[in-house]
Amino acid sequence: MKLSISKRLAAMFAVASFVMLAVLSIAMHGLLKRELERHQSNELHARWTMYKPIVVRNDDVEHWQYVRQKFDNSISENNRVSLWVQGGDPHFVYGSPLTDEQRHSMGANGFGQVRLPGHEAPLKTYSAEVEAHGERPAVLLTVGIDSTPFVETLQAFTVGLIALTVVGALGAAGLGYYIAGVGLRPVERLSREAQALSPGYLSRRLQTDTLAPELSELADSFNGALSRLETAYQQLEAFNADVAHELRTPLGNLIGQTQVTLSRERSLTELKEALHSNLEDLERLRAIVNDMLFLARADRGERAPNRVEVSIAQEVAHAVEYLEFIFEEAGVKVRIEGDAQASIETSLFRRAVTNLLQNAVQHAPRGAEIVVFVLQQPGAIRVSVQNTGPGIAREHLSRLFDRFYRVDSSRSGSRENHGLGLAIVRAVATMHGGTVFAESESGATTIGFTVAA
Amino acid sequence: MKVLIVEDEPKTADYLERGLREQGYVVDVARDGLDGKHMALEYEYDVIVLDVMLPGTDGFSVLHALREQRQTPVIMLTARDRVDDRVRGLREGADDYLVKPFSFLELVARLQALTRRSRGQEAMQLRIADLQIDLLARKAWRNGQRLDLTAKEFALLAALARRKGEILSKTTIAELVWDVNFDSDTNVVEVAVKRLRSKLDDPFKPTLLHTVRGMGYVLEVRDEQGEDT
Repeated sequence: MKLSISKRLAAMFAVASFVMLAVLSIAMHGLLKRELERHQSNELHARWTMYKPIVVRNDDVEHWQYVRQKFDNSISENNRVSLWVQGGDPHFVYGSPLTDEQRHSMGANGFGQVRLPGHEAPLKTYSAEVEAHGERPAVLLTVGIDSTPFVETLQAFTVGLIALTVVGALGAAGLGYYIAGVGLRPVERLSREAQALSPGYLSRRLQTDTLAPELSELADSFNGALSRLETAYQQLEAFNADVAHELRTPLGNLIGQTQVTLSRERSLTELKEALHSNLEDLERLRAIVNDMLFLARADRGERAPNRVEVSIAQEVAHAVEYLEFIFEEAGVKVRIEGDAQASIETSLFRRAVTNLLQNAVQHAPRGAEIVVFVLQQPGAIRVSVQNTGPGIAREHLSRLFDRFYRVDSSRSGSRENHGLGLAIVRAVATMHGGTVFAESESGATTIGFTVAA
Repeated sequence: MKVLIVEDEPKTADYLERGLREQGYVVDVARDGLDGKHMALEYEYDVIVLDVMLPGTDGFSVLHALREQRQTPVIMLTARDRVDDRVRGLREGADDYLVKPFSFLELVARLQALTRRSRGQEAMQLRIADLQIDLLARKAWRNGQRLDLTAKEFALLAALARRKGEILSKTTIAELVWDVNFDSDTNVVEVAVKRLRSKLDDPFKPTLLHTVRGMGYVLEVRDEQGEDT
C-alpha cells in the first residue's frame, strides 16, 4: 500500500523525534543517575566523618556504651541510616549481625552496598578503618544509607522520560501531518489544475508564479511536456488535415469522373478511358497510403531490420544509376565524393538517397552539378546531396522534412510528387538511428541524413 | 496452373478470382481460414494466395498447418505494414508477401515468379514481328537494322520482350531493370520507356511498345491502332 506524502512525512517526523527524544532521555537518565549516586556518596562520606569522632573518643569498654546509645539514637532519628562497627574485640562492635556475604558486598574499605531484609533497595555503604586507640583495637566503621528514595526518584524520572518521548513523537507526527498538509496544498492545487487539462484546452498551462521553487521546477517541466504535446498534437491534426486534403483530390476525381461516365450511355472506348483514368488516381492513392504506412512504421520506433555492412558510396551509385535517365533529361551531372562502410538496410537506404537526388534534380538548373558527399563522422555516417540553384529560405529549411510540406505550394498538384519524399528520408534516417539536416546558403543547398555507424 | 485464394473480403476475393481466371489460372476461393486450411491440405494447387487476417483461423495458422504436410508456394497478403507480420510469414514458410493495398499486376508478377521456377531453358533469341533480340549478345534489330540501345534501354526491352503480351507495372519494371524494390516518386520508368520508344518504335511500323494507362507497359503486336499514346 502506498502512503500519502502527509502520512509518510508524519511517520518520519514521529520516528525522528522519537529517536531524538529517546537519545536525550537516555542521556538525562544517565546524568541524573550519576548525580544521585554522587549525592549519596557525599552523604555517606559526610555521615561517616560525623560518626567517626564518636568511635574515636570512646576508647574503653565503659564508654562504648555511649557509642551504642548515640548510634541507636541516630538510627531511630533517621531510619534511612544503618551503622556497623566491626572488629576483633567483641566489646567494641555495633550493628545487626552480618553474614559473610553481606560483609563481602560491603567491602573492607570505601563504598559498597548491602542487601538487608526489610529494605526494597540495597543500602549504599561507606566503610573505613578507625585506628586503634586506648583499649579499643582498630575497628571498621560502616555507614549505610537506604537508597530507596533515590531509586524511586530515578524510576519516576524514567517513567516521565518514556512518557515524554512517546507523547513527543506522537505530537511530532500530528504536527508533521498538519505541516505536510499545509506544505502540500500547492500540490493539490496543481493536481486540480492538471485535472482540468484536456485536448480541448491545449494551450492551458499550470500556474507556476506562486509556487515554491521545488514545485515550480516540476510544474515547469510538466508545462514543457505539455508544450511538446501541444506541438505534436497540432502537427498530428495538421497531418490529418493534410492527409485528408491529399486524398480528397484523387477521391473527388474518382467519384466525379465515375458519376459522369455512368450518367449516360458510353462507348467502350470512353468506358475504358474512364477506367484508366480512375486507375491512375487509385494508384496515386495507393502510393500515398503505402508511404503513410511506411512512415507510421518509423513513427512507431521501428528500426531497420535487415541490415548488411556495405560501402555507402556503392549504394549511392546504385541510386544514381537508377535515376540516370532523369539526370540526363534534366541536363545535370552527378558526382559522388567520399565513402564509408556502414550497416544499413540497402533498399531503405537507396530509397532515401533516390528521394534526395530526385528532390535535388527538381531544383537544379540545367547544366548544374549535383554532388553527393559521403562523410565518415564519429558515431555516424553523413550522406548529403548538394545542388546549386535557387536557395531555400530559412523558414522552409526546418520544415522540409515534414509530411506533405512543399516549399512551393503551387507544386502541390504535381502528379509525380506527393510531398512525402523527404519525410521518407527522415523516416529512413530514424530507422537507422540517424537524423536529417538541410542547409542553404550562397546558392548551394545541401540536404541529407545520417545513419548510425 | 491451379491457384487457391484464401480471402474473406468478398470484393477482393471476387476480383482476384476473375482477374486470375482471365490470366489463365484455374481458381478456387476459400472465404475463411478453416475452409482455406481444408482446401489447401485436401487438393493440389500450384500456388496459394493467403490473406493474413481471416475469420475462423488466421493466415499464419493455415500456413503452419499447410507447411506440416506440403510445400505448395504461398503468397501472403498482409493488411498491416508491420515487419513482424512479414517476418513471421516468411519465417513460417511463406514464399512471398504483398502488403495491402497491392496492385493486381504485382500479384500476377509474383505468382508467375513463384510458378516459373520449373520453367525450362529460356530462349536466347526473341522475335516479335520484325523485332529481333539476342539476349546473349545483348543486341536488338528491327527490320534488320541494329538498334543503338544503352544497357538500361536494352534491359528494359529484354524485360518486356521476355513477357511479351503481359502488362508490366512500373514497379515490376523498376525491379527487373534496376533491381529497385521500393516505390519512389520518380518517373524513371516513363523516361526510359520514352527513350526506348524513340529508338524502337518511332522509326518503324508497327508500334510494339504500348502504354496501358494506370497499369504499365506491354510489348506486343496490336491490330488496332491509336488506342494508346
